[in-house]
Amino acid sequence: MLSVLDMNNHGPKAKSHSGEAEGPNGDWSWVLVGALFISTGLVFGLMRIMGIFFVEFVNYFEESSQSISWITSISLATQQFFSPVATALCNAYETRAVVMTGGFLSGLGLIAASQATCLVHLYLSMGVITGLGWALVFTPMMATVVANISQRRALALGLGLSSIGIFSFTLSPLFQLLVEMYTWRGALLIMGGLSLNIMVCGALIRPQWCSKALKKVDSKPRSSCATVLRRVSSYLELPVLLERPYLTYTATITIFNAGYFVPYVHLVALSRMTGFSEYQAAFIMSATGVTDILGRVTTGWFSDLGYFRTIHLLSLWVVLAGLFIILLPVSSLTGSYAALMAISLLYGFCSGALSSLVFAVMPMIVGVERVMGALGLLQLIESGAGLLGAPLSGLLKDMTGNYTVSFIVAGSFLIVGTLIMTTLPHYFSRTDPPPPHRVPHDVKDRGVHLELEHINNSPSDTSPKGAQ
Amino acid sequence: MQSIRVTVQLENDKYTLRQVFKIVSKENLGSYSCSFGDEAKADFLLAGPQIGEVRDKPIVSYVGDSVVVKCKMDEKKPKPASWNWYKANGTDKEQIFYAAEPQKYEIKNHEWVTKLVVHKLTEGDSGFYYCEGVYAVSTTMGHVELKVITFLEPLKPFIAIIVEVIVLVAAILIYEKSQSKKNSAGGNETNADQTNTPTPGDNNGPEESSSTRQRKV
Repeated sequence: MLSVLDMNNHGPKAKSHSGEAEGPNGDWSWVLVGALFISTGLVFGLMRIMGIFFVEFVNYFEESSQSISWITSISLATQQFFSPVATALCNAYETRAVVMTGGFLSGLGLIAASQATCLVHLYLSMGVITGLGWALVFTPMMATVVANISQRRALALGLGLSSIGIFSFTLSPLFQLLVEMYTWRGALLIMGGLSLNIMVCGALIRPQWCSKALKKVDSKPRSSCATVLRRVSSYLELPVLLERPYLTYTATITIFNAGYFVPYVHLVALSRMTGFSEYQAAFIMSATGVTDILGRVTTGWFSDLGYFRTIHLLSLWVVLAGLFIILLPVSSLTGSYAALMAISLLYGFCSGALSSLVFAVMPMIVGVERVMGALGLLQLIESGAGLLGAPLSGLLKDMTGNYTVSFIVAGSFLIVGTLIMTTLPHYFSRTDPPPPHRVPHDVKDRGVHLELEHINNSPSDTSPKGAQ
Repeated sequence: MQSIRVTVQLENDKYTLRQVFKIVSKENLGSYSCSFGDEAKADFLLAGPQIGEVRDKPIVSYVGDSVVVKCKMDEKKPKPASWNWYKANGTDKEQIFYAAEPQKYEIKNHEWVTKLVVHKLTEGDSGFYYCEGVYAVSTTMGHVELKVITFLEPLKPFIAIIVEVIVLVAAILIYEKSQSKKNSAGGNETNADQTNTPTPGDNNGPEESSSTRQRKV
């Protein structure tokens, strides 16, 4: 079944693509996964441990924790907002250059933050510059892995994304120590240095993997405005916004985002409210982080075995995650630490599971060539929900006095999202439908493409392009 | 040790001893005890409020920066009437006077919390600082350690990391250049198909190049 999936994904390129994963480039694919591992860890892992600096900032700058928490919000929002720009740049130029620039910017932002003398400095450096750097790193790296690894894609993604949990788990005590030894300034400086390692990951991306840039070499003059606009829109993959499957999927993920982050933000507060100590609450978060990592890797491995369609597995994990989110305040009502811990662990597993599958499903909706731009746009659109989700749940908590309603609302977002996902075309079929092939703008090219598709859709053809 | 003898009457089958002491000064603090013959004894220790939480790890700051050293009295206990700050000088404690060096030190007192702000830090400012909460009848003292370091300290691991990044990036790029030199020695096909084939990184050299030529037609 795996090879059928392969064929459907890549049509004419089936033979050469499966060759790529196992042939001479096979080993290099795992190097790419390693690069994704490190770079994702240095983006979201570092974002997660920014909380260590909060107390230091509140004391040093004598500002409220609300104003300090804007730093993380700004960096996350910038990362998501500029994702389409990043992917467009990758389509226009080399992915390697974009990712290395991103690594440089993220390091630069943190290094500049170490010299900050006021809060606005931090907003601009740690928030905007680093966020921009992260935008140039995360989505391009994800898209490169998704587009270039066809076999065991979900496992590769799961492994790559597992670094978020692993890095935040191991770097947290390390940075606690660094803050004690060198204060937050020294710790931020070192964090900036570590971020520069993203440039190493970027260097590992081989230029020939960026297919679109090379396809774009055409002999047309570039002077006309319409041509430039068309080019830009194709780099940004804007036409994909007009397709119903993509819109449905994006709407689904956006709604997921509104509920998905709530436990991460409020679980500690919920535990404290139930009466557990700081350490007990922190331990629940750490343990949830561990199951999150497990969820990512095992679901990736399991999904690649091919017993079920990735999209069905994704729906399963999302529904379960939604259920467990709803159960979290219920279990806290019992007052039992074991119950809260158990539900948190289960939630962690499901949330990790769904987060890697979300990306793995994308090529089946838009096709491999458009994954880069499609992911960029998705990040942008889902960012709105992410930004609104946590404050909304905070508001609900302020209105009702406890977290029950906010968690229930968050969980139901996930379940509602799944229901929307079932409206995707061919959702209920047993096998993946063939993904759409990118239709080129030029009519001449289209003719050639269709011809090739005809020829190449015969699986027994061993020389796919020589039949002319 | 002072002694007071009191005679008590039996009330409701109990003998109750009650005595009022006026605490006027430090001399009135200490241990008190009452005893009923040989049959019952109770000890009391009267003391002024003590500073509870003391930060055990040193506060670190950089040369030229300013730092806030904080001392806090438990809010369940009465507020100190005033606060004093001392800096350790060898085995002595030297009091810090706000007025003496206003550019250097700032003392901000607010109810249960006192903050000593030290500006323009130098390495000589390292050491122990003592905060003293003053009450009418007693004083209590807490201590905090301040360590002043130069920016060279975190710079050392930072430079080590930068060097590592440069070395790795250079190694990867050089390795790739040497690999592509090997490949281009095998023919020009790789170049041709890179420009015209949608498949990334395809190594089916000869086959691809023949199809490319055909497609151009």
